[in-house]
Amino acid sequence: MFEDRDEALDRVVRHLRRPVAIDPTFDRRVMAAIETPRRRTIAPWLAIAAVVATVFIGRAWLTGAGTASAFRFELVAPQAASVSLVGDFNDWDPHRTPMTARGGRTAGTWTAVLPLAPGRYRYAFLVDGAEWRADPRAPAAQDDDFGTPSSVLTVERS
Amino acid sequence: MIRWWLLLLCVPSILAAQDPRLARLDPETRQIVAALVDSAQRAGLPVEPLVQRALEGVAKGAPGTRITAAVRRLAQDLGSARLALGESASAPELEAGAAALRAGATTDVLRRLHGVRRPPLTMALAVMADLVTGGVPADSAAAAVLALAPTARDADLIEFRRAVERDIALGASPATAATVRVNAGARTASPGRP
Amino acid sequence: MGIEEVETSDADLVRRVRAGETAAYGGLVSRYRDRLGRYARHMIGNREDAEEALQDAFVRGYRSLARCDDPARFGAWLYGILVNRCRTTGARAARRRRLFVHDEAALNGKHASRPDAAERTEFEDAVERALARLSAEHREAFLLKHVEDLEYEQIAHLTGAGVSALKMRVKRAREQLQMLLREAEHV
Repeated sequence: MFEDRDEALDRVVRHLRRPVAIDPTFDRRVMAAIETPRRRTIAPWLAIAAVVATVFIGRAWLTGAGTASAFRFELVAPQAASVSLVGDFNDWDPHRTPMTARGGRTAGTWTAVLPLAPGRYRYAFLVDGAEWRADPRAPAAQDDDFGTPSSVLTVERS
Repeated sequence: MIRWWLLLLCVPSILAAQDPRLARLDPETRQIVAALVDSAQRAGLPVEPLVQRALEGVAKGAPGTRITAAVRRLAQDLGSARLALGESASAPELEAGAAALRAGATTDVLRRLHGVRRPPLTMALAVMADLVTGGVPADSAAAAVLALAPTARDADLIEFRRAVERDIALGASPATAATVRVNAGARTASPGRP
Repeated sequence: MGIEEVETSDADLVRRVRAGETAAYGGLVSRYRDRLGRYARHMIGNREDAEEALQDAFVRGYRSLARCDDPARFGAWLYGILVNRCRTTGARAARRRRLFVHDEAALNGKHASRPDAAERTEFEDAVERALARLSAEHREAFLLKHVEDLEYEQIAHLTGAGVSALKMRVKRAREQLQMLLREAEHV
């Protein structure tokens, strides 16, 4: 955990990672607070375009045990006019999962989110309907002499 | 007339045997792939990976001969994986097992893994396959995963694979990266995300 | 580039809340309460203030759900709100502590509902006191890095601090914690 393997700090961290007690009425209090009408009304969901504050954190803790998982696929392709996610999960049909380009600072980042059951999936990105690209951050799939690369994603049992 | 009725009775089974998605293949390739799928089904092997492999070939414009070769090889690997992992192996385990075999693991390695780790073995097999495609020699990858398999969680195995990939990217030789990581793993407490 | 695992049901719950089903928010509260509560508790140091910050974060999260542009990452987004709430509440609590001096550890020890109250050890008290003596910046960096197990890039997103500054804070926090714990041993 620590480079210098400090036993004392390790013990501190183990202690701090234990669950803490939270008032059993906490959830009810939160729900009561949000159900209390406020005088100032918020323009519902119009603000979506106004403020974008995405934070990219944590994987493991976002996935509770026993829940279905989805996966976000991303490819940076600033020159592309279209990108599709194509693979075992959509019958290799380039029209089934078009990816969306995110605007602003992350322009050129194409994303798609797919729910996936446990298993092993081969996939690739199809750029502008012609160019196959593997996912640079996923393991490569074994070559099957199809002439272009694929990637592979293994989904654990949740 | 009687024959016509007989034909009607047969239609559902014909439809069941011929996955409509295979219509994307040229007729000759489709016939071979459908036969491979059919025999895999009768052998109780998962057929979806075979269909998907054929569809991948079509999507990528591969010639029919390459598609049938790929599907045939995968069917054989799935069969070998089941022999090694046992009748109770799940479809994802068989698919990951086939990938490990294709990467160069031996059926003996699969058998040993089956002996030392509680199922599901999907992630352990997948990590083995992925290490090899990442450049780690098959025997080093097998040795590494077998060493970790008895106690490591799936998440630890994924973390292990990522660490090896990082080491390789930083210039370590793939075989050394896996070995050193295994030895380091024996000493280091697992990272253990909450 | 790459793949990251996210929670489908978070996205579903967020969509349902946005569609007017307020009760669906309860699912999000119960999902993130414990994890976020732990951070708030260690960051702020006492249970009442921590729960206030946590509640505040959930309420603000609800009211600004429109700004959660990626519902599948609701948890991460909410985490960002909580980090800010802890800064505000923590600062307020610190001011109050300066006015009404009391021993936090002793106060928390009084909670009968605290499950580990009976087994509280000197070590646990020492940790709590040592953590409280770190600056808020150092405590925040240490908790996010080592207890919440986040990557520096993720912490940078949450806190707005640079990665190298964060590394320095974590290093300092560790040195100080080691020193404070050594001191506690010799008291």
